[in-house]
Amino acid sequence: MDLSVKDIYRPLTFDEAVAAFSDEPSMLPIAGGTDISVQMRAGKFAGAHLLDLSGVLPRSISADGGFIEIGAGATMDEIADSGPLRSVCPALCQAARKVGAWPIQCRATLGGNLANASPAADTAPPLLVADALVVAAGQGGLRNIEAEDFFAGPGENTLKPGELIHSIRLPVTDPPSFSRFTKLGWQREQIISVVSLSISLHLNDQGLVTKAAAALGAVAATPKRAPSVEAVLVGHSLDPAAISRAVEAVQNDITPIDDIRAPAWYRRVAAATLVERMLEEASGA
Amino acid sequence: MTKIQPPLGGSHRRPDAMAKATGQTRYVGDLALPGMLHAAIAVSDRASARVLNFDVASARRMPGVEAVVTADEIPGDNQVGVIFPDQPLLVTDRVRMVGDRLALVAARTPEEAWDAARAISPAYEDQPGVFDPEKALDETSPTLHGTDNLLHTFQVLRGQTDPDHLDADVIVEAHYEIGGQDHAYLEPQACLAVPEGDRITISASCQCPFYIQQAVARVLAIPLASVRVEQAPTGGAFGGKEDYPSEPAACAAMLAWRTRRPVRLLYSREFDLQVTTKRHAMVVQHRWGADKNGRLVFAEVEAVLDCGAYAGLSTVVAERANVSAIGPYAVPNIMVRTRIAYTNNLFGGAYRGFGAPQVSFAAEATMDTLAHRLGMDPLEFRRINLVTPSDPLTCTDQPLAAPQMAQACLDRAVKDSEEHQIAPRAPDSWRRGRGISLALYGINLHRGGQFLDRSSAVVILQPDASVIVRVGLTEMGQGNLAAVQTVTAAALGIQPDKVQVWQPDTTTVADSGPTVASRGSHSSGRAVLDAIERLRRRLDPIAAELLGCRPEDVELADSCARVSGGGPSVPLIDVTREMAARRIETISTGWYRSKPRVFDEATGMGEPYASYAMACHVVDVAVDPDLGLVRVEHVAAAHDVGRVLHRTAAEGQVEGGVVQAMGWALTEELKLDQGRLLNPSFTDYLIPTSDDAPPVTVALLEDAPGRGPFGSKGLGEPAFIPTAAAIRNAVCAALDVEINRLPLTPPVIVRALAGNHRFKHLME
Ligand SMILES: Cc1cc2nc3c(=O)[nH]c(=O)nc-3n(C[C@H](O)[C@H](O)[C@H](O)COP(=O)(O)OP(=O)(O)OC[C@H]3O[C@@H](n4cnc5c(N)ncnc54)[C@H](O)[C@@H]3O)c2cc1C
Repeated sequence: MDLSVKDIYRPLTFDEAVAAFSDEPSMLPIAGGTDISVQMRAGKFAGAHLLDLSGVLPRSISADGGFIEIGAGATMDEIADSGPLRSVCPALCQAARKVGAWPIQCRATLGGNLANASPAADTAPPLLVADALVVAAGQGGLRNIEAEDFFAGPGENTLKPGELIHSIRLPVTDPPSFSRFTKLGWQREQIISVVSLSISLHLNDQGLVTKAAAALGAVAATPKRAPSVEAVLVGHSLDPAAISRAVEAVQNDITPIDDIRAPAWYRRVAAATLVERMLEEASGA
Repeated sequence: MTKIQPPLGGSHRRPDAMAKATGQTRYVGDLALPGMLHAAIAVSDRASARVLNFDVASARRMPGVEAVVTADEIPGDNQVGVIFPDQPLLVTDRVRMVGDRLALVAARTPEEAWDAARAISPAYEDQPGVFDPEKALDETSPTLHGTDNLLHTFQVLRGQTDPDHLDADVIVEAHYEIGGQDHAYLEPQACLAVPEGDRITISASCQCPFYIQQAVARVLAIPLASVRVEQAPTGGAFGGKEDYPSEPAACAAMLAWRTRRPVRLLYSREFDLQVTTKRHAMVVQHRWGADKNGRLVFAEVEAVLDCGAYAGLSTVVAERANVSAIGPYAVPNIMVRTRIAYTNNLFGGAYRGFGAPQVSFAAEATMDTLAHRLGMDPLEFRRINLVTPSDPLTCTDQPLAAPQMAQACLDRAVKDSEEHQIAPRAPDSWRRGRGISLALYGINLHRGGQFLDRSSAVVILQPDASVIVRVGLTEMGQGNLAAVQTVTAAALGIQPDKVQVWQPDTTTVADSGPTVASRGSHSSGRAVLDAIERLRRRLDPIAAELLGCRPEDVELADSCARVSGGGPSVPLIDVTREMAARRIETISTGWYRSKPRVFDEATGMGEPYASYAMACHVVDVAVDPDLGLVRVEHVAAAHDVGRVLHRTAAEGQVEGGVVQAMGWALTEELKLDQGRLLNPSFTDYLIPTSDDAPPVTVALLEDAPGRGPFGSKGLGEPAFIPTAAAIRNAVCAALDVEINRLPLTPPVIVRALAGNHRFKHLME
């Protein structure tokens, strides 16, 4: 593909990348390029100065105190296959395995998926549910952004000019008893979510929900948490009554629109169905 | 000559497979010449407007731009309509569709060319457009050409046709809204034009080099002989490269002629999706009646094709739709009316099945609905009404040579479906349903297009007993090279790897018409057999001399010439060496043309096709009753193929047809807003992935010989036709609903369940 870029700057270290980007925030960072190249074809970013992060982004997945730190450059394939992640946050691994199809998963990075800030970004719901921190790197060093504060609108995030995503930190001191991700589209692979959902639950010995987190994608301007669902679950067992309250509650958490992929009413039906099915699965588990 | 011998029916490696799989095949996008320029097309972004003025001077000054061409610079006709002269190459005063061409640009890089093309934006005065084909036929609608939007009407009138007298015990009325479809060929439109003095060579991804030759000669006002068109390796076509490639080729040729440099034109996927032809969207109204014993009494069909802004091939598509509206059923009273409406929507054109899939969808859906109203099993209801040897007439009163094949295909597909152990791929909670659909397919071109139905071949026998073959019909991925190679090898009794088949070029073979209507192996194979027969008038006497027998007793088999009936033999290479030594002419041409037929266009009675093929698909689906997702779990496809030429190629046609039709049935939706495509990319125009493709059990029935080489019948289109209706019938059976539209996207299915859906309160 011929893309019209002005030039490409390829730093040798991540620090060099941060320094260059702080000096020149109009540069366009590129990691796996799977979003950017599509957007460029559509005519965006003509004449861009690319900042090539591909060789310098942290990409390891490592335990660090009460956290697992995932380098922004970790690919979906690496995330899906990561043993530590699979044991503490299976939902994220499931989501990573649902991004596009395998060839895309081998290029697409976690940092890129978040920075691109699509309402349908598949890794967003599990990260929201896990109370993840997005670690941003800028001139002044590193700062943490709560995942919930990270998304600002379709294609908009709260990174400051000149900031890069360094890594994502998942608190793992208290892993949930149940953690799932699911997405809905007209096909099984290579499909942008029409609705996506992640739920994590902490259940005590009596089967009561002590902590609940839920988040959805493609039902609002950003991926978002579902506080009403969470509220109706906590303190209850996952009996049919609780499940049907959650199914109703989710409607208060979403503001879907009609778009090219599906009408708003369908997304409402789908959100209800996915919440119900996931909780039914959790109740059986 | 018609003896069945290897490699007929086998699965030797397709001759083009290795080069394609290893990336050696050079598609047009891989070709570059020194000094080559890149073409782009400035197009309208409105569907209906007057062009007040447009200025190309600033585009001419843009970086890299070498030429900008407008209508007044065309030396010949500013016209690319294939049948009707209604479509200018470049518009001057009025645009009728999004994508109408305003000007052509040649520049040093593709980006510069497209940037300049996009910068050309005329002052428009928007005009009211018409986007609904039925409304387009109202007298009050704005018109696209002339005084109304009705391009043409076709009819079939059989038996009692006065609607007031058509009555029956059970009557079904149904209204079908059937969406269009993009061809989604892997390789978008592409061509390269190279000028050379007073002549020009075009390499194009296409289905008919001869159409391009004619279009370029017409636009440049030069003789046909001055235009050489080479068939480039073609990455899929499905009808989308029948007539349409003449348009980009004429554009590239214009620019090459003007700049005197090679010019290459490649469409991006997005551009291709918006501007090229599509399967026609259709609206079909049915009123069908049956008696209480389950016999069809009458069938009334009113079909309207959405033609888009220009006629293109719409009349010939409608012609096939018209006589395909009833399917393989014996119905005494028939009234079919098929109308074509101009609209400002996407441009309708040729697409695998050529109008038949839409009307077959309606017919097979109505068959199910009628069966339900009668309280009969849809399978039994079909059995009762199929054409049979005692009732062998098609809806046009044409006797079928092998009507029993309808029943044979039905029985075989049902059996294969029942015997196949489905490994369920969808969860148990999904509902299951089975659907049946048949097709009666008229092989080869309709009577109306019969003037195109001829085919040329050239065979050159080499001194080492290998053979070069050229035919006028093209390889576009469907396997014509393999088919022609097989026919040649079988006819000469040699190994297939001794036969090299080359793509057509207008300087090496005569006009053979388009590679369409499932006529490729039929017409080119017959032409090759003719060439071989003529060659043998020179070969057999030499062989006879070497064998010491009469020329009429020479037989070719096992790479030898031998005395028929098991006498002595000599290696064929001895014969070809002897022919070379004696300087005997070893090049031979062959020709095929179909016999004239009788057909009355006013009543639709007669012989629209020379012969027919039957097909039946039985589909098992699983449907998510809450979300409307559909998983096709298995397809049993039985086809009346006459004779298998190349087995894996034939099976591949069926599997590909099934998957392509599944996309049309379930997910492929051309979303339009005022003629503009809202989803012009594969992100949102959803063709099935390999993970969605169902297992297909293919049965190729060889009981009724056809008129193709060795008794074969066309298969490319029948492979597509029955699937969508079978899927629809299966989905409706699974959910116990009636849905009369395509595609069956999840929202359509959920909406159809509305009253029974658990979350119906959310659907307001
Ligand atoms: C065929 C296909 C299928 C797809 N399917 C899916 C899908 O199912 N689900 C889904 O969610 N997405 C999907 N995508 C989108 C895309 O693959 C993902 O969003 C991917 O994770 C983006 O990562 P990347 O490294 O390729 O990002 P890039 O394209 O390199 O960058 C994306 C954006 O992030 C910015 N960026 C990248 N890295 C950083 C960083 N470290 N710091 C700051 N900014 C940064 C870039 O400037 C750019 O704006 C698909 C894409 C394709 C082409």
